[in-house]
Amino acid sequence: MSREDPGGSGPAIREPPKVLVPVRVLEGQTVPEPLIEFLAPSDVVVLGYHVIPEQTATEQASMQFEDRAREAVADIAAGFEAAGRGVERRVAFTHDRDQTIARVAEEVGATAVLLPNPVGDVEDVLVAVRGAIDVDRLADLVATLLAEGDQRVTLWGLGNGTADFDAEAAVERARETLRDRGLAGTRVTAETTASDAPVRDVVERSGEFDVIVMGEGGPTLLSLLLGDAPERVAEETVAPVLVVRPRPDRG
Amino acid sequence: MGTVSEPGGAGGNVNREGETPEQVVVPAAETDETSVTEEGTELERSIGLVGGLSIGVGTMIGAGIFVFPGLAAGRAGPAAAGSFAIGAVIALLVALPASELATAMPRSGGGYYFVSRALGALPGAVVGISIWLGLVFATAFYLVGFGNYAVAVLLEIGASVGDGTVVALALAFGVLLTVLNLLGTENAASLQNYVVGLLLAILLVFLTYGSLDALGVLGRSSAPETFMPFGPVPVFTTAALVFTSYLGFAQVATVAGDIKHPGRNLPLAMVGSVLLVGVLYVATVFVATSAFGSAALSGFGETAIVEVARALGGGVGATAILVGGLLATVSSANASILATSRAVFAVSKDALVPRFAGRMNLRYGTPHVALAMAGGPVLVLVALGEVEVLAEVASFLHLVMYGLICVSLIAIRRDEPEWYDPDFRVPAYPLIAGLGALASFGLIAFMQPASQVVGLAVMVVSAGWYRYYAADVSLKGVL
Repeated sequence: MSREDPGGSGPAIREPPKVLVPVRVLEGQTVPEPLIEFLAPSDVVVLGYHVIPEQTATEQASMQFEDRAREAVADIAAGFEAAGRGVERRVAFTHDRDQTIARVAEEVGATAVLLPNPVGDVEDVLVAVRGAIDVDRLADLVATLLAEGDQRVTLWGLGNGTADFDAEAAVERARETLRDRGLAGTRVTAETTASDAPVRDVVERSGEFDVIVMGEGGPTLLSLLLGDAPERVAEETVAPVLVVRPRPDRG
Repeated sequence: MGTVSEPGGAGGNVNREGETPEQVVVPAAETDETSVTEEGTELERSIGLVGGLSIGVGTMIGAGIFVFPGLAAGRAGPAAAGSFAIGAVIALLVALPASELATAMPRSGGGYYFVSRALGALPGAVVGISIWLGLVFATAFYLVGFGNYAVAVLLEIGASVGDGTVVALALAFGVLLTVLNLLGTENAASLQNYVVGLLLAILLVFLTYGSLDALGVLGRSSAPETFMPFGPVPVFTTAALVFTSYLGFAQVATVAGDIKHPGRNLPLAMVGSVLLVGVLYVATVFVATSAFGSAALSGFGETAIVEVARALGGGVGATAILVGGLLATVSSANASILATSRAVFAVSKDALVPRFAGRMNLRYGTPHVALAMAGGPVLVLVALGEVEVLAEVASFLHLVMYGLICVSLIAIRRDEPEWYDPDFRVPAYPLIAGLGALASFGLIAFMQPASQVVGLAVMVVSAGWYRYYAADVSLKGVL
């Protein structure tokens, strides 16, 4: 984890970040324009998916709705292409949304997965730093997305009060890495809170921000019952959530 | 198959409506986790090994444990355990070839798909349409079984029950299941896993306790009885009757397109579920006949196993088995309705029946026509209420498919097409598939004449339909 950046100047991004954008295409879900602009600096993979009930064979659904789904994905991809970089398209019919998103994210080597929500102009970005997050990767992503703009970033360390996660040190390292990647220090605010329920705290403050960036968080008993932390945040807030995935070699 | 045109023959490959068989999935692009269409759309495989086993076991266990022991003991005496063992052997002989074919062709449609690709459109159509109706008969049988358990529960809590209550409750539940499926479910499969787990737990306790008792460990004397009081023939006719208890493993193949790592999971789920339920059935019948003697058991009818549980475990035992019987028969019926709709889809995709039969609606995402073609006829058959005929016709139509699956394996292996690359190969295939075919067709000979007539009539009508509607459709070797 102690990665040194000898140059220290300029946007020294190690890997071009790649964001997976899953969209429920046949239900008319789209990606809001400001979000397309916000994501434009990264590589984007648009995954149009349709969840079908157990009663239906995936083949059956694709026979009938494949063309519609592919057209909808092409429309969304065109939006991203107009805004910037290369876009990869995937279309999937599935009985299990989470499985499909996880598989495609793995296959394309996505840095982050977008959980879309409506959004206006992106001005304030919240980066929730909890335990078990790859700070370097997170900083790479945020630095790439924000390099050209003037959005403000709030790094918020949520410590759980145990010894295995030092929120303050993590936030400090994230701040340094962002600076190394060329993000002006004046745009970054850092703070730390001790929290027993980080998800609830993030949700409560989400009104102040336009986009939330957070890690997947490991599986906990609570996540088995209520779903993953990022999904709960995405469900309970109005802001889109970017979920940073751990690098493969870190499990 | 005189009128079947050569594969890919342009212009000839259409049915009466002008529809041609549709190829959806590109065989070469098959992976362990997806199938891929021509345009590159991914079709996620979402059922793992546990899910596959649960489909197989969940479909089978309702009949063999909870409905048949009383009926079988009445016919064959304690040798009914042998009847179940014969069924298990036949099912295994078919499950092995079916597994090989399924790993080579992991698509929706199961047995129909293998037969139509290996032997051509006519046998395919006969199997495809027969299996639709075979599943309809099986579903009706499970629902009547459910009705019996529901009535037993009512009696248990002291309600007064009229004559037609079994059928009325079975009908009501048939309607309920059909409507639920029409509306679409997303977590019923995981619910099914838990139901099957619970059933296995109940049975394990019951059988452990019952076996100790039967072997005299618990000190209760059980009536010694002649093993085959009616001679050897009833052992076989009973095997023909109770074979309905082994119809579930092929349902795993009907959802083969949804199974993850099909090369590994399909054979394990099919063979594993047959072995598991086979052992449970034989043990259950052994325990049941030891506890009561077959004559008394027969008197209890469809819910005989409840009385066995009562004798062994008192009110608690009886309640556990009653609950188990309700869950098991419902899960069997529901799994069969789902398999029926997949079977209808498979034949409609191949233009053997009108394409609209496989349509789904966007609102609920369910194949409403196919589900109606499953649920509708089921209700008619339930109303007839003839348990044994329902069971035997279901077995008859499945056995025809099973026999043809074995023939398909032999046909394909003798002249292996280029695309044929199964992950699992049956050892000594001519022997196993040959025996499987002989045993499947042979068992049909031991059924009641009424069942044989109905089964044959379904096959003849299916063949006639093919001649009338889709005589120019060719499927042999078309993946």
